[in-house]
Formats: sequence, structure tokens, C-alpha cells
Amino acid sequence: MSPQNALHDPIFRAYFFIVLISLAIGGAVLGFLRVVLKRETASMFKTYWSWIIMAGIGLVVVFLGRVPTIIGVTLLAIFAFKEFARASGLYRDWWMTGAVYAGIVTVGIASLIAHPRGGEPGTGWDGFFVAVPVFAIALILLIPILRNRARGELQRMSLAIVGFIYIGWMFGHLGFLANASNAYGFVCFIIFATALSDVAAFTFGKMFGHHPLRSEISPNKTWEGAVGALCVAMILPWLLRFSFPFFGVWQLILTGFIVGIGGQLGDLSVSVIKRDIGTKDMAATIPGHGGILDRIDSLIYVAPLFMHMAGYYYPLK
Amino acid sequence: MKKWRYQSARDLDRPPIDRLRQFPREPDMLVYGLRALGALIIRGLLRIYNRFEIVGHENLRTNRSLVIVANHCSHLDTLCLQAALPLRKLHRIFPAAASDYFFQSIPRLWAAAVLVNALPFARRARVRQSLSLCQELLASPATILIIFPEGTRSTTGEVGQFKSGIGALVAGKDVAVVPCFIDGSFRAWPKGGRIPWPTKVRLIVGEPRNYRSRIADKTEICAIAAELHDAVVKLRYETGNL
Repeated sequence: MSPQNALHDPIFRAYFFIVLISLAIGGAVLGFLRVVLKRETASMFKTYWSWIIMAGIGLVVVFLGRVPTIIGVTLLAIFAFKEFARASGLYRDWWMTGAVYAGIVTVGIASLIAHPRGGEPGTGWDGFFVAVPVFAIALILLIPILRNRARGELQRMSLAIVGFIYIGWMFGHLGFLANASNAYGFVCFIIFATALSDVAAFTFGKMFGHHPLRSEISPNKTWEGAVGALCVAMILPWLLRFSFPFFGVWQLILTGFIVGIGGQLGDLSVSVIKRDIGTKDMAATIPGHGGILDRIDSLIYVAPLFMHMAGYYYPLK
Repeated sequence: MKKWRYQSARDLDRPPIDRLRQFPREPDMLVYGLRALGALIIRGLLRIYNRFEIVGHENLRTNRSLVIVANHCSHLDTLCLQAALPLRKLHRIFPAAASDYFFQSIPRLWAAAVLVNALPFARRARVRQSLSLCQELLASPATILIIFPEGTRSTTGEVGQFKSGIGALVAGKDVAVVPCFIDGSFRAWPKGGRIPWPTKVRLIVGEPRNYRSRIADKTEICAIAAELHDAVVKLRYETGNL
């Protein structure tokens, strides 16, 4: 991945136009709702403007290449974890949050550097990447020992470990995917497909939603929305097959399931955290979306599952 | 199993810029880091560019709460006072800043909230609320309040009249009040100036005072304000010209 490659890469160029067209279609639908059907769409337009800005930033970062993509994912993880820490109260403990930030940065470094002995540059150090949680959790467990404190430490350690694993490491797989030889296809596909299935879940839920999916976790999510999102996610790998021309039927079906179900699960697992804490959104960073974590939560399952599925059938590099 | 208690930040539902506007602000690692870095750079620049010098530094050496009262003719004043205090106290220094000037536009808000940890002071309406906020802060240990009782930057370089609010803040309270005179900041960066000029700036720190035996009625607080004004002006003439 590099700007020169991106300019000549048919997959990246295709996604550039797909994103533009999707945004145009979304804008047209919203405009139709507002002008013709006279619906109240102010909040949806706010969400839509944020989508445009996020799509722009995402395209630019992926265009700039492998290193900016990995750094961008790491920064997203850092700020998403910060939101989690602020919501859960962990932010008061700078030792724990510091340890998690160190862990997240280590995930980024493991994605950037090659194996020190004989690794090809620009391929990432996959062995270390998968082992980062060992070191990060060891560091987190070490902190109460270093500080000679026990009261309330179990809660802090648990929050730090959940925050690191979910947000730092599982989400960090998105950055590691930038090392794949088919990086443009993988990264663009899972971001685009997950975003679209999120929108589909919202739209289907609005239009047909009656039966709550998990009433104790997230009252607004419905079975209708989830099934709609799954349908969209099952179709997308076939429509966007050019992203991974070497995928067979079985891999395409698995990809659909990972995006369709994994996206919903990521959303719900962050909802569990929010519900227990008692907050609606993690923060108010992105107008119309809530916090960064509320936006990237669907990728928490999708990125690692997709990476390991693809890596199981085909060499990533 | 006992239920866990989460103590969320109080400003979860507010956008990042709004979080800077509120006071007291939640501790934030990034903000603290930027502030420490900024303080180091400001200290270095003041020393080199403005040949910053401190007279009477020993008057600031205390671990108790302080109210620093100084003349005001430049944005450099706050930076000079901040540079005179040790770095480890950086996040407990609260310069009172006009909320109508510093807490509206985003660049000023950023500079005020991130770089100097300013306390929004409503100088036109609700002065009393702002004063009680200051008093709350002083109640916690090792707080340093920086107050410019003239209420605005002087356009002539002379020390204007002190507002009586400073008297109301310190009358009857057991808190050290340190009068300071900042010399040369008017020449270096007057109101309306674009960038600071490389002229010498000097900070003169006076002896700490205490007004715990005074009662907080109208005549007394005006008298305290006048006394502090004279103390600040006296520092200027005692130390001689720059």
C-alpha cells in the first residue's frame, strides 16, 4: 500500500467510486424523505454529514498507505479506549490507562515492524501481534503489585483488560490487515461492508422493527433490523467479489456471516458495557453518532474474525 | 457478588470542545501532557526571548493555597506567573480568565483551558458565582489562584483601580495573598499587539499577606482591594527600573 499503488490499484479506485455513489444514494434518499415525504430528517442529516466526513478521512488514510492506515487504526483505538475509560471511571487511574495505552501502541508497533530475524519488511510481525495480549495483561496485572494496593484493583484490572482486548487488540486487527498482499480489498471491504450493514440494521429496524432483539441490552435493536443487516451482509461479498477474486463460495458465505453477525455482536457487546454503566453513548465526539467507540464497535468482531478466516484459507502475504 | 460502582466522567454527553468550556474540568491525560509540554516551551521561550527574570522568588515557596494578585497589561502576565511556579504544581494553578473573552472562540478557549488551565470568570454578570467557585477551589489544599483584579488588560501600562471582588474573596479567609508586579510585559506584548517583542520582562513577587482578621463587609473589601493595589504599585517603585 502506497499512494502510487493506490492510484493504479483497481480495487482502491473501485471503492473510491463505490463510497461516493453510496453517499450520493444515501443523500438522495434523505433528500427524498425530506422534500417529498416531508419527514423530520434533521438528526439523520447530522448523521449523514458525519458519514461524509468519516468516509473522506478513511479514504485519504487508506490512500496514503500502509503506515498511515496502521497509525490511524491505532489512534482510533486509543481515543475509543479513552472514551471507554471515561465512561467506566477507569480514567481516574492513570497507571491502568497508561498500561492500556502502552498495550495499544504495542499492537500498532507489532503491525508495523517485520519479524526482527528474517522478516520481510512491510509484512508485520504476526507472531508478536497475536501474543501482545499476554504482555499487556501481564503489565496490567503487575500494576497493583508495583503500587502495593489491593482495594478495588480487581475492578480496575478487569476494566483495563476488557478495554485492551476489545478496543486495542480486537479492533487493532484492522490495522494488521493493511499488511496483507490484498490489503486494499480486505480493508476497504470490511470497513465498507460493516458500515453498510450497520446502516441496513438501522433502516430495516426503523421500517419493519417490532420484535426487540435483546430487550435487556439495547431496546432499540430489533430482530427485523438484525435479519435485514444479515441479508445485506450475505449479498455484499458476492456483489463486491472483485475485492478478493481468489475467494471461493465457502469463503464468501463465511465473510457474509462474519460481517452480518459479527457486526451486530460487536454493537451489542458495547451496548452491554453502556447499559451496565448506565450511559446512552460513550461520548459525543461524532455528531449524530455518539462516540468513536459507538461508531467502530461493529468492527470489534468483524476485523479479527475476518482476518483469521482469510488467513486460514490463504496466506495473508 | 457486590455490584460494581462506575464513576463515569460527568461530561460524557458533551462534545470535546464543550468539555473544555466547563469547570471544574475532568482530568485528562492528553490535556495534562500538552499543558506540561507547553509550560516547558513557554518557560524556555520566556527565559531566552524575553530574558525573563524573577525577583523575590522565595515568596512563592509554600505548599499551602495561594492567591496571586498582579497587575495586568498583557497575555504574557499569566504565562510569566505560571513560569514562576514549579512544574509539579502546574495543574493546580488556576488563572481567572474572562469567560466572555477566553471561553467563546475556539483558539482562545483551547489556549486558556489546555495551556494555562484557566478558570472561567464571569466579570460582568454573576460575579458572585465566579467568586464562590474561586473560594471552593481555595478550600482544597495547594491550590494557586491567579487573579488580575483590574478586570482587564491596561492599555497604558499603568496599574488601574482594583475591583472590590478581590477583597470579597480574601477577607476573613486564612489564605496567603501574594502581590506581584510584572514589569515590561506592556512593552513586550501590549493589548492589540500581534506577536510578543523580544524585550525584557521582570516579575517582582511581594511578601505574602493575610486578611483572616478582616470582616467581609463593603467598606472592608474595598479597603483590601485598595491596599493590594498599593502593594502592587509599591513593588514597582521599590525594585527600580528595568
